[in-house]
Amino acid sequence: MTAKLNVLRYVLGAAMLGLWRNRTMTLGAVVTTAVMLVTLAAFLAINDTLNEMVTALGRKSNLIAYVRDDARPSRVTEIMQDLEQRPGVGEVLFVTKEDALRIFRERFFDQRDVIDILQANPLPASVELRMDDPAVLPGLADELRGMTEVFESVAVPLDVVERLVSISNVSRAAGTAMIIALTAVALFVIANTIRIAVYARRQEIEIMKLVGATDWFVRGPFIIEGAFIGLVGATLAAVALVVIYLQLAPTITRIISFLPIATDVSFVRNLAVFIVLVGLVVGSIGSYVSVRRYLAV
Amino acid sequence: MQGVTKRYDGEPALADVSIAIARGEFAFLIGTNGAGKTTLLRILLHEESFDAGVVLVNGVDVARIRGSALTKFRRRIGVVFQDTRLLPNATVRENVGLPLQVRGHANRDIDEAVADVLERVALSDKSERFPRQLSGGEQRKVALARAVVAKPDVLLCDEPTDSINPAHAREIIGLLLEINSEGVTTLVATHDSEIVNNLRRRVIRMDAGTILADEPVGVFSTS
Repeated sequence: MTAKLNVLRYVLGAAMLGLWRNRTMTLGAVVTTAVMLVTLAAFLAINDTLNEMVTALGRKSNLIAYVRDDARPSRVTEIMQDLEQRPGVGEVLFVTKEDALRIFRERFFDQRDVIDILQANPLPASVELRMDDPAVLPGLADELRGMTEVFESVAVPLDVVERLVSISNVSRAAGTAMIIALTAVALFVIANTIRIAVYARRQEIEIMKLVGATDWFVRGPFIIEGAFIGLVGATLAAVALVVIYLQLAPTITRIISFLPIATDVSFVRNLAVFIVLVGLVVGSIGSYVSVRRYLAV
Repeated sequence: MQGVTKRYDGEPALADVSIAIARGEFAFLIGTNGAGKTTLLRILLHEESFDAGVVLVNGVDVARIRGSALTKFRRRIGVVFQDTRLLPNATVRENVGLPLQVRGHANRDIDEAVADVLERVALSDKSERFPRQLSGGEQRKVALARAVVAKPDVLLCDEPTDSINPAHAREIIGLLLEINSEGVTTLVATHDSEIVNNLRRRVIRMDAGTILADEPVGVFSTS
């Protein structure tokens, strides 16, 4: 037990000493890790913002179902409650005949001739859907058109919807592909940097093995060093990310103020925690794997 | 070692080599470059595999060693490598203490043992230096100190006096004899004729991977 504690003490001390004595290599690995993780995090943030933009655009596309004058109000309420539960549906509004007329008057206030000839209210009440996901619009429109006892007609800007769905699909697919590729590149570069650092000290591993060190005795300091490099590099990346966010977020929000996107603080916080964990895990596993190949002495 | 053969890319480095060294014995392994001396030592340390034959070191069948048994096996052998193989980023004290560190000894015990052995090799005043700050002879003495600090049963030395001045060489050989006199089986590969001729110990002569002669009191000659 005492021997194991002594070994543990040695491993921790050797890791710290190794980091210091190979400080040029350590610094290079930390900087590489930080740069790769900042790039990855920046892309994740950009991708998230793009997705938010597409979703926000989707919310701007509406479906309007005009209610027959003779439709039973209880049936309309029932349908609206059902629609609220549907995936992709953001908001369900009921516009009464009176509201429709008021809106009409407001919109055409400069055409008094037209307004004045209206004796009765010819405008129907309507149910308006604001969408979270415009992709479900065509299906919903068909379904509502089938309810002829309730709705006169259903209006959907199909060309806009189709374009939005297409933009959304391309954006999500391209974003996912880029994230996978960039994650792979980041992990490869970080792991490779650690591999080179370990390679430079392969003779050290060999010597330790030849004087009777166990695999874990040799591996221990390298894993701690790798974890340290990953952690420090990732923490630098996280700090850079937060600083960039604090500088750029107000400007970005102002530029795209036409879209209801709130730049989310919790997203940046979660992203920072995520990259710190990635750094820690890749650093330690990268060292573990790199050392393994030199242990067979 | 019985009937040991080792080939590199089909070329024999050792061909049907058989030798026996008794516990506590001192023997020289001599021969020109490429004679197979280093290969033989590497096989004894299980640093190199072999193609045929049987090798027993301290009663352990080297070919059958696996996993943690290898660690235990190596802890009973001290080695002075031809290229010293000191850790470049560790001080003399840390290099010499390494075999005790890997065994999990307490720092206080390690410091005591390292101080003793450094005194023995006359390097006490250089314990905090790095290998690059030492002469070739001093580096070899550090390598020897590391090899014996954990009191091994067997000491293998590969050209321990190569490329160093005669004074350091004599000092190292004196230390090897002293260590051997404490019961450590010692095998020294060398092509230093002066040392071999002066000491008049057992000489195992190798050439092209074979044993040419095994003389109880040999001299270095090219005949």
